Amino acid sequence: MTEALIVSILIITIRAGTSLLYATLGEIYTERVGILNLGVEGIMMMGAATAFAVSYHSGSAWIGLLGAVLVGGLLALIHAFLSNTMRADQVVSGLALTIFGTGLASFMGQRLGPGGTTMVGLQGPKFVRTPLPLLSDIPILGPSFFNQDVLTYGLYLLLPLLWFFLYRTQPGLHLRAVGEKPLAADAMGVPVIRTRYIYTIFGGMLMGVAGAHLSLGYLQGWADNITGGRGWIAIALVIFATWDPLRAVIGAMLFGGINAIQFRMQAAGTTIPAPFLNMMPYIFTIVVLVIITWWEAISKRLGAPAALGLPYAREEKH
Amino acid sequence: MTGRAWLRRLWPLAPVLGALVITSGLLLLFGVSPFEGFGALLQGAFGTEAKVLSVAAFWVPLTLAAAGLVVAFTAGLWNIGVEGQIVMGAVASSWLALRFDAPRPILLVAEILVAMAAGALWAGVVAIFKTRGGVHEIFGGLALNNIAIIFTNYLISGPWQPPEGGTFRGTVPFPEKALFPLLGVSRLSPLSIALTLGALAAVYFILRGTYWGLKLDALGRNPKSAFLLGVSSEREMILAMMFCGALAGLGGSVRVLSWFDSLRQSISGGIGFLALLVVMLALFRVVLVPFVAFFFSAVLSGSISLQLRTQLHSSLGGILTSVMVLLVLLFGDYRQLGIFGSRGGKALADE
Repeated sequence: MTEALIVSILIITIRAGTSLLYATLGEIYTERVGILNLGVEGIMMMGAATAFAVSYHSGSAWIGLLGAVLVGGLLALIHAFLSNTMRADQVVSGLALTIFGTGLASFMGQRLGPGGTTMVGLQGPKFVRTPLPLLSDIPILGPSFFNQDVLTYGLYLLLPLLWFFLYRTQPGLHLRAVGEKPLAADAMGVPVIRTRYIYTIFGGMLMGVAGAHLSLGYLQGWADNITGGRGWIAIALVIFATWDPLRAVIGAMLFGGINAIQFRMQAAGTTIPAPFLNMMPYIFTIVVLVIITWWEAISKRLGAPAALGLPYAREEKH
Repeated sequence: MTGRAWLRRLWPLAPVLGALVITSGLLLLFGVSPFEGFGALLQGAFGTEAKVLSVAAFWVPLTLAAAGLVVAFTAGLWNIGVEGQIVMGAVASSWLALRFDAPRPILLVAEILVAMAAGALWAGVVAIFKTRGGVHEIFGGLALNNIAIIFTNYLISGPWQPPEGGTFRGTVPFPEKALFPLLGVSRLSPLSIALTLGALAAVYFILRGTYWGLKLDALGRNPKSAFLLGVSSEREMILAMMFCGALAGLGGSVRVLSWFDSLRQSISGGIGFLALLVVMLALFRVVLVPFVAFFFSAVLSGSISLQLRTQLHSSLGGILTSVMVLLVLLFGDYRQLGIFGSRGGKALADE
């Protein structure tokens, strides 16, 4: 393979993987405090619609991003309230959020263009790829890793931070304790409910960013069903990553990488039908996921937070 | 009746009213009159005879999947993979409809049976992942949902592609004799109504009148003590999942053989997820399932025809139903009101 080919594949790999990785990281933090949020798909959809609508009308992609973060946090707040305070069923709440987000986003897409018309096909502000000085001169790695948009660069910073916070700081320890043994965490003086609220909302914000990267970075525009099931893939990747932020990278890059190879194959004029190629990343990710999950489960290493999905009430026995 | 008793009776209406208010607010926010919106929705659902039949046609697979889910829930299982089971049922029926030739009654019975078998198998995989691999049924189900949808897309764009190249939207229409007999020009078949009523009766009977139903109930309430009492939790879990999958597969069969006339890209279109919400709103009781499912069908089917008539988007139905579910979770302080039985809220890692 030539250098140019490798670079072009790597560029698309990283671009396609970015939004997926944001969503996966958001879900990892949410599940780590014991809350299962199945609303990822809906939150991403709302993030994408809000980001595009706000940036289109304000003229700034940054304000659009801010809108997506707020909307993501708000939707996750609904889920946090229902799961923590109302102790409602998290699966139902998450599913309802997904249907709500998908519906409202599609409604917004129909109405929030200029003068109440559709947003489909509009061009708006976007996060363009900008090479970083010096770093982008490194052969192969430079033009692929350091010639990306600002949200991808944000991920390079966020990823080690999230990992370090989770495994090497006291708040991170508390976070994990709340997801594993909420009663013990409570006895230690960690405010269980508040911690769950905080990280569920934080997770929702990351999912909002994931949506924003679709409509402002990777796909640059609004279309109905823009997320195309990425939210569900993100939930699957969390298991693949065994709730570890760094391992999530492997999954997201795998997904992005197959996306990229498929683009190249299409460009090279393969006879394989296009929809099948489009679906390849999903197939491959899921198959690998199932094999790894199964293998890990058999070898008893699957590390789901012990209190995942379980509402916490101090006065109840666990 | 006292005021308190009245309040308890009327309590279930609170989320419905709340959902109407919130959705009206959203409509106003986007400059649409709520009266126009909901009026069009009602028109879309019940305006003409054809529209009522369309609501009923939507109701059939939703009710079938929901009836199956009641059994899975009774055994304490979260069969979120029901969406994929519907898809696999549809795929199996399509395979027979495309590839086999037989007298119509034989063909129809065979199509129904393979759909049920395919749905049951797909659910069985999730159950075995759970009992043998320790993979929670929610995660296993989600993974298999994705695979089922991908598989459909592969079939449509690959082996079952229409000869003229096609638009990748679906297969060629099936021959007339492979399809369910329809009422007039509707998408509703008397056969599917009969099957749905049969399924509802079967689920009711199983849960009320059989030893198996009792075992599932014990399993759902307390798996540990059920096991100690001699209920083979692995066997019953797999069977409960497969039963649910079979009904979901049947729903998929109805989708391809009467709603559509071919295998399409989004053959289920989220009916499985809707069915989960239906069961939850029906308080996990099979007698309430057909009514809640009918309400959902009216709203969703109504909003589909609404899009054709006005500038309003068909997503209104999804918004209305999902807001209602969220409000049920909000209002439904069921432990205190004693209206709901309490299920759910089980730790996912607690295997």
